[in-house]
Amino acid sequence: MTLSPHEAADTLRDVAAVEDRSARAYGYQRGSPYLILWGILWTVGYGLTATWPQRGNAVWIAIDAIGMAASFAIGFRSHAGTNVPARRRWMFPGIALITFVFIGATLAVMAPVSPKQIGAFVPLVVAFGYALRGIWGGLRFVVAGAVIAAATLAGFLLLGAYFDLWMAAVGGGALVLAGVWLLRA
Amino acid sequence: MEQPDAIIHQKLRLKIMAALKALPRGERLEFVRLRAIVNATEGNLGAHIGTLENAAYIKVDKDFNGKKPRTRLSLTDAGTRAYTDYVAYLRAIIDGDIPR
Repeated sequence: MTLSPHEAADTLRDVAAVEDRSARAYGYQRGSPYLILWGILWTVGYGLTATWPQRGNAVWIAIDAIGMAASFAIGFRSHAGTNVPARRRWMFPGIALITFVFIGATLAVMAPVSPKQIGAFVPLVVAFGYALRGIWGGLRFVVAGAVIAAATLAGFLLLGAYFDLWMAAVGGGALVLAGVWLLRA
Repeated sequence: MEQPDAIIHQKLRLKIMAALKALPRGERLEFVRLRAIVNATEGNLGAHIGTLENAAYIKVDKDFNGKKPRTRLSLTDAGTRAYTDYVAYLRAIIDGDIPR
């Protein structure tokens, strides 16, 4: 029953490949609901901002509050009934909270002159986060980040007054599709 | 370890263990996702899961997600030890610490 060194090396390689696939699938499975949630919220938020631009601040305060509460709920519900340490349950909601605080702090320092800049900056930060996550978490995160960044820049640079509508349809839609894509990986 | 653990020496069972070992501690993997990861048929995978469960290397939880039945698997402490030992055994062979 003893293996040769060559067979042992092949087996170790197979095992490492399976571990890698499993870890990636786990990350996709965990990350997917957040993309779908925030995709829907972006569509609603940008859609309402396009309809009532003067109520933009109130809309986004409500959207962010709902999104943060829902992110925490997803984080805790997805680990219900498992022996996962409490630290892990806080991971994804914690990332969302840190990102939220970082965006708020950056906007306070940089003081953007138009709501459109804020509307573009937030998706770019999110895209950057997903692209970084993809470096160790799998190519699909990188693709999701790249698509969100490209859609945001295209809308910001080329569409002017239609930016919010574009982000409602394409930005939010891209997040939802990316979430479904991860779920099917 | 002069002789490998006979239960996880079988290739598909070793892959099942590897897939579960890659999860964070306490996490579970759904049967359908495991099947895609290890590239096995449902019947074959089910039989090997039974062997690993009988050896207390994995824990199988069955419930309903809405109306759909769901089977989720996780590695036990004994399974984690067995897998770690088996990987160490493979490394020892490669390093020449175990004579053929």
